[in-house]
Amino acid sequence: MLKVENLHASVGDKEILKGINLEVKAGEVHAIMGPNGSGKSTLASVLAGNEKFTVTGGTVEYEGENLLELSIEERSRKGLFLGFQYPVEIPGVTMANFMKIAVNEQRKAQGLEPLTAAEYLKLMREKSAIVELDAKLTSRAVNEGFSGGEKKKNEIFQMAMLNPMLAILDETDSGLDIDALRIVATGVTRLKREDNATVVITHYQRLLDYIVPDYVHVLYKGRIIYTGDKSLALKLEKEGYDWLINDYKEE
Amino acid sequence: MCKDRLISALSAAVPTTDCLGSGRWCVDVTTSHRLTIERDAVVDLLLTDSCSGAEGSVDIVVSPWARLRVVEVVSREGARNQLNIKLEEGAECRMTQVLTASCDSRVVASLDGRGARFELGGSFILTDDERGSVVVDVKHNVADCSSRTMFKGVASGSAVGKFSGLVYVAPDAQRTDSEQLSRNITLGSARIETLPQLEIYADDVKCSHGATVGQMDDEAVLYMRQRGLSLVTAKRLQIEGFVSDVVLHSAIEECRDVLLETLEHKLEKL
Repeated sequence: MLKVENLHASVGDKEILKGINLEVKAGEVHAIMGPNGSGKSTLASVLAGNEKFTVTGGTVEYEGENLLELSIEERSRKGLFLGFQYPVEIPGVTMANFMKIAVNEQRKAQGLEPLTAAEYLKLMREKSAIVELDAKLTSRAVNEGFSGGEKKKNEIFQMAMLNPMLAILDETDSGLDIDALRIVATGVTRLKREDNATVVITHYQRLLDYIVPDYVHVLYKGRIIYTGDKSLALKLEKEGYDWLINDYKEE
Repeated sequence: MCKDRLISALSAAVPTTDCLGSGRWCVDVTTSHRLTIERDAVVDLLLTDSCSGAEGSVDIVVSPWARLRVVEVVSREGARNQLNIKLEEGAECRMTQVLTASCDSRVVASLDGRGARFELGGSFILTDDERGSVVVDVKHNVADCSSRTMFKGVASGSAVGKFSGLVYVAPDAQRTDSEQLSRNITLGSARIETLPQLEIYADDVKCSHGATVGQMDDEAVLYMRQRGLSLVTAKRLQIEGFVSDVVLHSAIEECRDVLLETLEHKLEKL
């Protein structure tokens, strides 16, 4: 589904990604961990198509296409979803209206008719239940005045509405209390299918208790320096990154 | 046409006398009028422009304890109009102003009776090479009155917008409660000047004012595009969100949908 080869990216003159290799297949869950400033969020942003970053080398293939040639919105319409670490507030734009446009843009790209008002309401009710999102929030402005937990639930609600092939969740667990974490993580798990894939970026093992990864990657200074299975996350939680970083330096 | 739809939405009538009792009325601002709202009356007043480039003034006296709700739409090029509203004891005026063409608009509200209240929510949207000037003067001439002004401006292309707001508080106008906000977004090489002013001669007052001129929020645009909205749609939605609350809180609720459409129609030209 996604094949990243030797990806380099920078912001301004500063190179942040220094040769990322990553392959994600349908049905898989990948976790990306790593110390602050290692480039995790940058990787997510570059894959989503954020124009702030310049890709200076490497290739990214998504569903057989050159991902890097597509605009942000084209990537989204082709089923790539980015859950933001800091969801943005959009005053005056209601959640319901925003999602309706988003869902219909995606349908248009797939050659489908827009949803009728009744179909849309039904979809919204169904999907908001997945993350126990208060139905009242959909009539409020996007993320405006939402609590930290509501914002993150709202990200997963949007993910459910757009039903992506590849979801990249950038620290969706940060700032969540235990209950909200469980709801968000359970929501993600419920959206899991054989033909889609999830990449979760996280600092904490606890999220991976719910969303069990097939692979855990450690990103350090713009490179993936180690890949293991879910037991790696447990080891990192106990021992930190030092042992890996020291190994890496010696190489 | 927005004007006709507003009139029919309200079933507003053209008044035959200058003294208005409770009811819904429609008045053309491109000619001059002197109106009095009767004591205790509840009046909805629709102000529209019937021709381009005309100059008109409307003087309204709101008698004690009357409640006046005004919606003004200026959509024709080059209108110059002045609205003078005089509020007597306990009178209230809530007003919504939507300006979508080059214009020169001036609203002067005089709070002349104790306990009078004035509220104005307005927006101007200017595109291409349009020029718009908005003046809002609120005069707190006596004690215990309150006023709220919120004006939002959007300019694109090479348009130039100007907002001047003045809140004047007379020496005896103690316990005045006033708020004035001017918020603006410019796109492209458009310019907006905002000049909020306070002139206070009383010492026991609560007055605040603020002004901002900013660009689009790039983060919000990025967020919307990540959800599949095109750049153009994302920008338009953001601007719509920015100005629509003025209309969503329309003084006359029944005007809301038509005003929203008027805004949307204009925003397509950004």
